Amino acid sequence: MSYYDIDSILTDAQKLPCTFELEVPGLGILEGNAGEDIKAGTRIDLPLWLGEMLSIGARLGTSRLVTLDMPEALSERVMNALKADPRTLDLRALAPHFYNLSERILELFEEEEMVDVLGDAFKKRAADIADHAHNSRGAVGGGVDFLRGLDETERQLFRVAHDRAKDMRIWTGEAKRK
Amino acid sequence: MAFPLPRGVTASEIAFLAEMETVTIVPRQRLEGLELLGGPIEPLVPPRRASLPLWLALLLKRQRRANIIPPTWLHPEPLALILEVESQHQDYKNAFSPPPPLPGQPSILDRDALPSARPQYTPDGNRYYAAPPFLHQNTAQTVASSRDPPSLPFHWVEVGNLLLDAASDDLVDPDQIRRLLKDLREVRMAKMRSGVDVLDAAATGGGGVALTGVGSMELGEDRGFITGVVDGLRRIGSSKEQARREQMAEQRANGGYDGTQDDDEEEDYMEF
Repeated sequence: MSYYDIDSILTDAQKLPCTFELEVPGLGILEGNAGEDIKAGTRIDLPLWLGEMLSIGARLGTSRLVTLDMPEALSERVMNALKADPRTLDLRALAPHFYNLSERILELFEEEEMVDVLGDAFKKRAADIADHAHNSRGAVGGGVDFLRGLDETERQLFRVAHDRAKDMRIWTGEAKRK
Repeated sequence: MAFPLPRGVTASEIAFLAEMETVTIVPRQRLEGLELLGGPIEPLVPPRRASLPLWLALLLKRQRRANIIPPTWLHPEPLALILEVESQHQDYKNAFSPPPPLPGQPSILDRDALPSARPQYTPDGNRYYAAPPFLHQNTAQTVASSRDPPSLPFHWVEVGNLLLDAASDDLVDPDQIRRLLKDLREVRMAKMRSGVDVLDAAATGGGGVALTGVGSMELGEDRGFITGVVDGLRRIGSSKEQARREQMAEQRANGGYDGTQDDDEEEDYMEF
């Protein structure tokens, strides 16, 4: 992940539910009413980079400014769905950078089980992505929905696999160069 | 995307590399010896067989100045046999059929024999061990003993396709060969796909996935995908890996000074 990696920047912008522990004067702009104070106990969705920064006191042991919660995309409900059948889930609707987001979240929270569930889901979906990528007719039938639900990491995988399969077909003369 | 070419090696580049392979030809015309960068070419005297790099053989074939003798494995019978092993044999349900033995490597028929690598020497007297494309895996006369089962060389997709394109009249039953090559590729692609399940072994520390017997074209085709999956798995598991390392460091710090270092190491390995 480099400094200029656009996917990393976009992951940083994903919203995370945060609860303010202290009253902060003049920060009401985050809530949408500029000039006001923010009350303790307010729940606001903050971008990942901001939430991470504000919660840093919690990790240093001093009084924390905000506490972080699990984003909706990684809730218990989603994890159960992933355990049941990873292929039917529309990850893109949950978060466009689902795996990048979960990678960052897992750095903040200790969730051993989530690592296993996500790893397993990624593997199972990757196998399906390979199937669709090697299909020369493109997406057919139920494949359209599955491919639409890929997150950004998976899309890149699909693109690589598909381009390679196409390159191969062009070389063997099965497909025409466009 | 600023750089227009796809990352990694493209199919045509792999095919270009495969043209270094040595094949056997029967010249139809006399040709004087050539001093090439890749080594001297002996004078061609019909009807004596000669070994040439594939690119030169294809050039002579296109000019109708030579006939290419297909490699031993590029016949319907050995290909059908390999296909049967790949698709039916119990031992190779999830594995690829073994590559041709390296010089000095014992045949897979006698498993107990120890390998004895035979070094070769450069003109300067330096010792080296030959590897593809400098092994004669695609010549008509085999180096390996005849009781070895047929096997696919590293560049089988490229050599097979190039010879089918340029020299199909020199092959025995080219249509059958083309069909068999296609079937083989499909069987092996399916194995590659089902192999995604074991890729998390490569993402954890110290693990690996065996790709013995996979051809260069197959590797080139799947490289981007496989590395992508392994990288994704590694990133998802990185927090767990981090926690495990911290735990290990903690254990070492707790008992490290009164206990011996060796005991600690053993404890760590038990956890894997």
